[in-house]
Amino acid sequence: MISKSLLPFLCLLAVAGPAQAADILAIKVGRAETISHGTIEHAVILVEDGRIVMVGEDLPIERGIEVLDRDPEWTVMPGLVNCYSRVGLDSKGGNDSRPMQMASGELYPASEDFAKVLEAGVTTLGLYPPGNGIPGQSVVVRPSGETAGEMILADGAYLKVLARSSASSKKMIRKGFEKADDYTEKEQKAREKWEKAKEKWEKDKKKKDDKEEEEDGDQKKTFDPYVAPEPDDQATAFQALRDGELRALISISDSASYLHFLDAIDDEEFTWDLRVPVTRELNLFHLAGKIGEAGRRVVMEPTMSLHPATMRQRNLPAELATAGAKLVLIPRSDSVESHEAWLRHTGELVALGLPREVALRAMTLEAAEVLGMGETLGSVDEGKAANLVFFDGDPLEPGTNIEAVMLDGRFVTEEVDR
Amino acid sequence: MSTHETLFATLAVTLLGSVAPADPAQPWTADDEPEESEKAPVEIEDYYFAVTGGDVHAAGGEVLRGATLLAKNGKITHIGYDVEIPGVDYFADMPQEDRNFVTETLDATGLRVYPGLVAISSSGLMGASGDFADTADPFHQNLVLALGGGITSTGASRGVVKLKRYVEHDPPRDYDFGGIVLGESTYVSLSWSGRSPSGKASLREKLTAAADYLRVYRQWEADVKKDKELEEPRKTGVDSSILAILKGEVRARFGADDRDDLLGIARLAQEFGFRPVIKGCREGWTVADELGRAGASAIITPRSRRDKNEDLVREGGSSIENAALLHAAGIPIVIEPQSGGVNLSGIVGRDILHLPVEAAFAVRGGLSEAAALDAITIEPARMMGIGHRVGSLAVGKDCDLIVTDGDVLHYQTFVQYAVVDGELVYDKEKELFYAHIRPRAQGEVAPPEKLDAGENPEEQEDEGDGGEDPGEEGEGEDSGDDGGDEEADEEEEGDEAEGDGGA
Repeated sequence: MISKSLLPFLCLLAVAGPAQAADILAIKVGRAETISHGTIEHAVILVEDGRIVMVGEDLPIERGIEVLDRDPEWTVMPGLVNCYSRVGLDSKGGNDSRPMQMASGELYPASEDFAKVLEAGVTTLGLYPPGNGIPGQSVVVRPSGETAGEMILADGAYLKVLARSSASSKKMIRKGFEKADDYTEKEQKAREKWEKAKEKWEKDKKKKDDKEEEEDGDQKKTFDPYVAPEPDDQATAFQALRDGELRALISISDSASYLHFLDAIDDEEFTWDLRVPVTRELNLFHLAGKIGEAGRRVVMEPTMSLHPATMRQRNLPAELATAGAKLVLIPRSDSVESHEAWLRHTGELVALGLPREVALRAMTLEAAEVLGMGETLGSVDEGKAANLVFFDGDPLEPGTNIEAVMLDGRFVTEEVDR
Repeated sequence: MSTHETLFATLAVTLLGSVAPADPAQPWTADDEPEESEKAPVEIEDYYFAVTGGDVHAAGGEVLRGATLLAKNGKITHIGYDVEIPGVDYFADMPQEDRNFVTETLDATGLRVYPGLVAISSSGLMGASGDFADTADPFHQNLVLALGGGITSTGASRGVVKLKRYVEHDPPRDYDFGGIVLGESTYVSLSWSGRSPSGKASLREKLTAAADYLRVYRQWEADVKKDKELEEPRKTGVDSSILAILKGEVRARFGADDRDDLLGIARLAQEFGFRPVIKGCREGWTVADELGRAGASAIITPRSRRDKNEDLVREGGSSIENAALLHAAGIPIVIEPQSGGVNLSGIVGRDILHLPVEAAFAVRGGLSEAAALDAITIEPARMMGIGHRVGSLAVGKDCDLIVTDGDVLHYQTFVQYAVVDGELVYDKEKELFYAHIRPRAQGEVAPPEKLDAGENPEEQEDEGDGGEDPGEEGEGEDSGDDGGDEEADEEEEGDEAEGDGGA
């Protein structure tokens, strides 16, 4: 079916002439992990202007289109998305609530780490601001570019919130929403006041108009338009959360902090995902059912942990995924080495029970969702950015090498022999 | 006081026992609405928890053998016989989705049901040290261990908390952090020691000042009714916590072991009219009468020792009979182990997990078993001002209980289940800690699974392999462990089917 729809399109391209065809590249690979619709054998991916325009099995390719034929040696998957990282950043933060602080402000494009993680197959990074409490908002970057502007894909992707089992942490969250409430009230009052003033002005004007119709004098023609009072940072950010303009990433440390967070937000509704550092004796399995039932997205490292006070291994990412949570995996640390070992670490979890398709999705599409960019990134699909990683075998098998990395339709690794 | 409570409880039970409880779940026929397609799920209103068949150690030392305890929404509603359990004895046929209540039953046949133990002080059981409603960890390992040690409430910092563990329910319930805290600031620490004469003098001054103020204040309280203009006397120079002690709002707690100090505290208490709590009290047995007359209470650790001061002729030092003698003098005693924490190193048996063992040592010294049980349940609860909520099993109190496989004071006894606020929060077989030690013989206790009407045993036989020789069946029935259970059941069903065929 795909091939049928492709034919007229390719014919059109042929008619348009060879000049434009230079921007088009057809890549034939042995296998494509599309993430969104399974695995395609003998896949053909058509890339144009940095975007994927067509994907399918054994598609016929019109003459004149450049072809990179690596069927069957190569396997392709979407570029890895690390949604929770501080690669290339090194500032320090505080412990308070600064929800309007942007991680983009500290972006340093000259950092060498960006090129290195890109080479390891990571084509998108979500960089979060430093500090505890509510440190601010993250930025989505492509790890390539001379200037911050070239790198930034989206700013204010999520608000990072540290939720801990402490009175101060819970207060900080409650306070944020209270500030938003206060502002709403203040704004409403200001508007009412303005409306009343306007009414009065209109009345006065009418009176005056009736009285002295001829006299066109000192009176203004129009009333000053309404200007809303300036909200403070807390109110702005938390109102944006409520309105769905901003999403949150809630960093918890264990089961207890999750319950305390739920207690703190009460009935407040907004979009939020969970971040849980996988520590040695993380006890999140207690709440796997609760988190799974809610279908929460959970950002974790591909690490095995131990059942508390024992040496029994637990595969918490797998447990959460099985319970129904949407798993998101990130490298074990922000070091370049961790990015290089990311796929291998994930492979270890897969060998220990994590479903393979869940694992691949967790490093790409689900991670893109955390950044609010699930529409444009994270899978091999029509219309999405041509961020692709090519392997000489199964990406999760140890011993498999990355053959090439494509970012926005351009190979960023060494010259690929066509 | 407690006997009255019990009498009332038993009376209530005998009266209500034969009749269905006055407040059952709403009649379910009312919820049956004509349009079946759009039936919204019934909202759960009531949670029932029943413990059946156990020997219930009710308030006042009474033991009801094979009785039923029923709780509704965390409070005990019935203790006794012929107690009707909703969803079991009535409303049993109501489909699950129509019920606006959930009933959980715990079969305690052959086991004993005690009130949850109350530790007068402990540290680290909730994974926090203050602000419990905002910092408690309801998953903490120490919490589970403490429940396994029988403790359901404990003094923590100056307050009292309940060991509310998080349990997953179907349908899910919200966790109530507010329910953790039972009380705040239950005592004021004071010091009275022969080693610090200045401290003694300063305490006496404070007490005198507070007592003087209180006299003026009481006079003002009486006068102000007549003359509303009168100003409240000013509190300058009066210690507010000392004042609270004299007003009877909070109890004074001393740490003292020495006979002279104990006598000094007793005299001070009588002079100023307050009832002191004395922690330690190791030489208390030598002055038990004086302490009793002063209305003191004691927190003691029966196993902790102290040498006699050989410079003195009079009696002194610790005695294993301390608890018994203090109790005989009418002093309410509370027992606590040497350490309030959970110790996973050093010599076992002296930390908070061995609260009943500590109490058992008082029994060795002559204290009655009933008094020893009180010393780790109702007495500490009363001392912390939560005796109306926890510490004994009586109608109207919180459903905090433990189910043990023997006398709670016996060293071999294990807590099999712990229940807090009518929620099963600990099951020995399901935790890693003690499950492997003397596991419950489930195969012997559990009756064979019955077939419901309409279920065909022959079909099940067809599915399994029918050609088993009878020798194996015998083996299957003998094995009573977890894994063998299902197998044994299936084979029994098979048995029936064979019998039918023969007939």
